[in-house]
Amino acid sequence: MSGKGIRSTGTALAVLGLVGMLLVYSLSFFWVATDRLQGVSQRIFYIHVPAAWTCFLAFGIAALTSGMYLWLRDERLDRAAVCAAEGGMIFGAIMLTTGPLWGAIAWNTYWNWEPRLVLTLLLWFIFLGYFMVRTSTEDPEKGKRFAAVVAIVGALLIPLIHLSVTWFRDVPQFLHPQPVVVKPEGPTLDGDMLTVLLTSLGVFTTLFFGLFLLRYALETLRAEVQARAREATA
Amino acid sequence: MSAYLGQIRAIVWKDLLLELRTRERVVAMGAFAVLAAVLFNYSIDRTVVQPQDIGAGLIWMTIVFGGLLGVGRTFHLEAEDGAFRGVLMSPVPKDAVFLGKMLSNFVLLYVVSLLVVAVFMLFFGMELGTSPAVLGLVLALGALGFVALGTLFAAVSAGTRMGETLLPILIFPVLIPMVVYGAGATGRLLAGRPVSEVVGNIRMLAAFALMAVAVGAVLFRFVVED
Repeated sequence: MSGKGIRSTGTALAVLGLVGMLLVYSLSFFWVATDRLQGVSQRIFYIHVPAAWTCFLAFGIAALTSGMYLWLRDERLDRAAVCAAEGGMIFGAIMLTTGPLWGAIAWNTYWNWEPRLVLTLLLWFIFLGYFMVRTSTEDPEKGKRFAAVVAIVGALLIPLIHLSVTWFRDVPQFLHPQPVVVKPEGPTLDGDMLTVLLTSLGVFTTLFFGLFLLRYALETLRAEVQARAREATA
Repeated sequence: MSAYLGQIRAIVWKDLLLELRTRERVVAMGAFAVLAAVLFNYSIDRTVVQPQDIGAGLIWMTIVFGGLLGVGRTFHLEAEDGAFRGVLMSPVPKDAVFLGKMLSNFVLLYVVSLLVVAVFMLFFGMELGTSPAVLGLVLALGALGFVALGTLFAAVSAGTRMGETLLPILIFPVLIPMVVYGAGATGRLLAGRPVSEVVGNIRMLAAFALMAVAVGAVLFRFVVED
């Protein structure tokens, strides 16, 4: 795809995502029925779960492209990694703020040490380190390599970290809700709720890829500007 | 293989000799450990909690922070006159450089870890438990995992403008298994529980250390390449 193609696809997807977001909000506030047990607070689920999914998707892409960058040294892979990681930070921040808001009502506490909460918090901080390393090197090439190393260490050690916090003795009695959609016996979520959730998942994913492509196009332009500036001084 | 081991040994020997002559890092880390224990004493209100109850946690936090202090300076030893460039240009594989640096850091941190435990026993009257050898093994495996990640990230942070400030941000998130299994085992051993209760912890600590060493040895070449 040409630079222009990426930009227009990105714009189209981002606009589609933003319009879709209006749909998700109206569906989750006015259309779908209130949860019998949890009441109104359950509606945050239609934002929290898609944000979490998008965050993991984005960090997954970032880790994968980081690894491939160290291997192939293609600038485009590094660009994809940094753009995906930025998306992961944003959607991760949405997940990490909506979760505690729901928890305050459902669990009567904003935070507990349930393994899934810890996992997402640590992932978020690993990628904070990713950006800090990237921006604090004199030589941008070095920063790219360092950041890729941070992402790969995080990706490789996350399973063991998750295992260790699951094993920890103080796993709280209020557990994070179990999956209600992806289960061997099929979804147990009410039909309308499932519709809203799947719509929201689609919208969040679309918005993410829209922002991702826009950021990617911007990074490409920046690299071009730098290259031309170097040419001009040389 | 023996040539490879010889190369690692040469780097370990060089670093330890340098440390033996200057005593910079070991004195800093040792003084930190003792002074941290003094501060801990005054931070604990004994009408609320006894130091023995939270001793294992404090011991591990002291090791972690003291370790950062020393390991963070791994690559400052050779910062002057481009000495590290010389090490990298020598016909030694990069992973051998990493393993050598890591092992010399390990020796340093292990000595400090034992000192930390001794200081806590002395200051807070903590008992060593019934199996000091097992406690020594737990500390060794924990220290090994720490220095593996610490050496890798020290190389990263030494190449940035932020320097050691960056090190805790990089290393703390991936250090959780070491603290969970290490402090857990230490707490139980200090409380005199049987060794059978900590076998699981020791296995997981070993797995963590092994993974950390492998990850560091593989990724180090990408950090130091020029």
